[in-house]
Amino acid sequence: MPKVTRYDAPRVIDSGSIWILVAAPTIWAVHFLLSYWVAAVYCAKSGSGWLGGLTDPRWIIVGLGGLSIAAIVWLGMIAVRRYGGVFVVLEEITDSSEQGRERFIGHVALLLCALSAVAIVFTVIPGLVFDRC
Amino acid sequence: MTHEIDLSQLPPPEPYDKARDEAQRARLLQAWAAPKGWRRISAVNNSHVGKWYLLTSFAFFTFAGLLALLIRAQLAVPENDLVSQSLFNQLFTLHGTAMMFLFAVPIFEAVAILILPEILGARDLPFPRLSAFGYWCFLIGGVFVCGSIFFGVAPDGGWFMYTPLSSDPAYSGLGTDIWLLGLSFIEVSSIAAAVELIVGVLKSRPPGMRLNLMPLYCWYVLVVAGMILFAFPPLIAGDLLLEMERAFGWAFFDPDRGGDPILWQHLFWIFGHPEVYIIFLPSIALIATMLPTFAGRPMVGHSWIVLSAVGVAFLSFGLWVHHMFTTGLPEISLSFFSAASEAVAVPTGIQIFCFIATMLVSKVRPSVPMLYAGGAMAIFVFGGLTGVMVALVPFDWQAHDSYFVVAHLHYTLIGGMLFPLFAGVTYWYPFVTEKRMSDRVGKWAFWLLFGGFNLAFLPMHWTGVMGMPRRVWTYDLSDGWAVLNMVSTVGAFIFATGFAVFAVNVLWPRRNHPRVARNIWGAGTMEWSGEVPGNPWGVRSIPYVHTRYPLWEQPDLLDQMDRGEWLLPDAEEGKREMIVTDILDARPLFVQRVGGPTFLTIGAGVSLGAVFILATFHLWAITLAFGAAFVAFTLWWLWTGTAQVPEAPEKYVGRGLTLPTYAQGNRAVGWWAVFITMTGDMTAFTGLVFSYFFYWTALPSFLPGAAKLPGVLPLLIGTLLMLAAWGMTVAARGVLAQGRRGVSMALLLGAVPVGALGLGAWCWAALAAGLDPTVTSFDAMVWILILWTGLHLSLNWVMHLYVAARIGAGICQPAYRADVINLTLFGHFVAVTVAVTFVLLALFPMLMGV
Repeated sequence: MPKVTRYDAPRVIDSGSIWILVAAPTIWAVHFLLSYWVAAVYCAKSGSGWLGGLTDPRWIIVGLGGLSIAAIVWLGMIAVRRYGGVFVVLEEITDSSEQGRERFIGHVALLLCALSAVAIVFTVIPGLVFDRC
Repeated sequence: MTHEIDLSQLPPPEPYDKARDEAQRARLLQAWAAPKGWRRISAVNNSHVGKWYLLTSFAFFTFAGLLALLIRAQLAVPENDLVSQSLFNQLFTLHGTAMMFLFAVPIFEAVAILILPEILGARDLPFPRLSAFGYWCFLIGGVFVCGSIFFGVAPDGGWFMYTPLSSDPAYSGLGTDIWLLGLSFIEVSSIAAAVELIVGVLKSRPPGMRLNLMPLYCWYVLVVAGMILFAFPPLIAGDLLLEMERAFGWAFFDPDRGGDPILWQHLFWIFGHPEVYIIFLPSIALIATMLPTFAGRPMVGHSWIVLSAVGVAFLSFGLWVHHMFTTGLPEISLSFFSAASEAVAVPTGIQIFCFIATMLVSKVRPSVPMLYAGGAMAIFVFGGLTGVMVALVPFDWQAHDSYFVVAHLHYTLIGGMLFPLFAGVTYWYPFVTEKRMSDRVGKWAFWLLFGGFNLAFLPMHWTGVMGMPRRVWTYDLSDGWAVLNMVSTVGAFIFATGFAVFAVNVLWPRRNHPRVARNIWGAGTMEWSGEVPGNPWGVRSIPYVHTRYPLWEQPDLLDQMDRGEWLLPDAEEGKREMIVTDILDARPLFVQRVGGPTFLTIGAGVSLGAVFILATFHLWAITLAFGAAFVAFTLWWLWTGTAQVPEAPEKYVGRGLTLPTYAQGNRAVGWWAVFITMTGDMTAFTGLVFSYFFYWTALPSFLPGAAKLPGVLPLLIGTLLMLAAWGMTVAARGVLAQGRRGVSMALLLGAVPVGALGLGAWCWAALAAGLDPTVTSFDAMVWILILWTGLHLSLNWVMHLYVAARIGAGICQPAYRADVINLTLFGHFVAVTVAVTFVLLALFPMLMGV
């Protein structure tokens, strides 16, 4: 019987945190749903006086968009830190190390931040164009 | 305290010993062999279940294809009366339903169950019996739904079954019930597969396969299984509402009683649009997996493809209203969805560009799978571009419900899903059968399919623009659509011929053909590591993987695996075992024992199938009996097959590594399965919450006067009682850990009546307010929320009794208490359901000043 070494490796998502992969698209989703919801409620209820004080919903949508993009920029900065700086478009991060995994997640997270920001701009545009239901 | 395992520093293997190798192989074979003869149906090995799943899905595809040929034959000439109008309605409804629910989604599960464990270098997925259960559900539900056409009662309301046509039994007969209950049943198998695949990808990777080294296929599977959890449940919620209206007259979709038919469209398309991507992504994953093999180099832009998969998954949930552009929603709402529909083209395009880049920087070996992959991309890009067109609201208003949409959706689905799948079948055929398909026949099939497809569907763009609505039974010569329709019909039959040629190529008996060489295509991914002839155990020993393309980049890996030099080379206890690793870096955590062949899953599947089928015919007494049988089979299965106390707390797995043989809490795969299932369950509940707010937004007087509201006091008392029951469950977990078994059992058993009293208080509140679900949508909404909570509590009670019995039997012990931990996790989700329901029933109406 060979010498037995016991390893203990209870690691779940807490220590390396892949939350950052879903964070940026989640911000897009929240912004999208809020925009839809604000517009839908405004269009349905503005006549009934329930939302009497609410001005044009477009500025709410644009404001939410600005906040969301600010949050994504902040996430992007975390992603850049994890990724480790220099951005090479077609970089392949294949090192078999914790650092390699961390850099890879950072890379993908950074790309997702960019995509989510673009998608939020897409949502804001109709908010700017339409001033009626 | 965590301790780094440096897998690259493991001690060397023991010197090779032929006698030991043979003895180990014999023990592995005994543990993993599938039963012979008729008992083969009790097999649960992924290689068996995956193959059945695949063949069954293709059988439904063939059936739905034949229906399509009948449709095309009817439309070939004007004023045709080949089939009756009623049969025609059934034909197109069943064609769409079967293609979507019985082929496109299940085939993803089939392929993943078949190849995912091998790509992960694993022996099997963590819940083989769950896969088998899912398969039997799928088979029974599919046969039931498809068989209905032979009795002339097939669903005929279109594959998206719009209300109020479908909600009023006077307009739509038994077919709609068959559709609703049959498909709800099949959704069970999809969610079962999603649980299996998510846990598989996250926890069953080979040691060392960190997230950055995980193959693209696994990323896609993870993303798509996650999408299923968020897409299917809203439809289950919708099915529940619709069936309650049809069977018991509850007022959800009837405008006269405060219902709204548009709600169904929302719930259906919140499912329906992500579903398109649930179909598309796994097929494109097949191309992403085989392309590097033929390019002879790693995929260009690996991270970009991961971005693309995750990005598409999210954005696809913001598209659903583009199916509803003509329902009169405010234009600003439509434009959000139009914008998101345009935005989703960005990540979709990125992955296509990565594929093209990979082909450009390498010299692609010509091969039949690549021929299909090329055809797929050409067709899909075309369909994607017409998708960008119909994503524009003004264009959609013109093209809506015309043949232009029929053309568009077939270009995306056949290009994005069917052709990649044919490429995959050709590519992995040797992996499954150890034989090779005929290249010559394969090329013939391809050109017939490709040519026939374009001949059939390209003209439909014009037919649509010329004004032909979809789903019409026949048309007049003066409409001017006759020539184009005839061309489409000819194309459809050529396409069908192509499929027949392809099917013959697949099914041709090749007993006398020589076996293929190992790793016949020279691929880099692990599924080609299997020995030829193959063995039922998957991999001889579970290797340390530290590259993206191990077969290319880890020389000598195959020999090391074959010699049993890596982990778990033996099955000393005669049990089926696999190694569970951690999510981020795939460090080995523990040895998981998985279930072997069993008839219990078949029993559970058949009973559940009977429940759904009998409910269709409103045979409530027998339905209840089969429901009890289902519970009994499931409990028996759980009792004998899950969370077993191991004979020793840890075991040596080779290379100086000793791992625990039991896990609980968030290390255990069972905990993750509960967590994932309940996430899906929460999504269904969110569908109900969405319905509540939808009514509130859309209907001026959804909330009734104060007299008609359920009383706040009984609601509050009920809520507190149910939360107290939850607290008792949590306490039972704590005291069991301290070793006080009796107190723990008492708390579990006591939680049942406390929760029941709480539910009773809610029911009393609704009854006292005189709420009748058949009168208004508010009453129906209150009762459905109480019913939903009640169903979950009942399930919770059964589980309480089960866990108390396990503690009594000494299986659930202070040191091995996975059962009670998982029960508590379920309880957390139920508690959230109770709290949210209280907000909706009591607090929100108060807040709105009622």
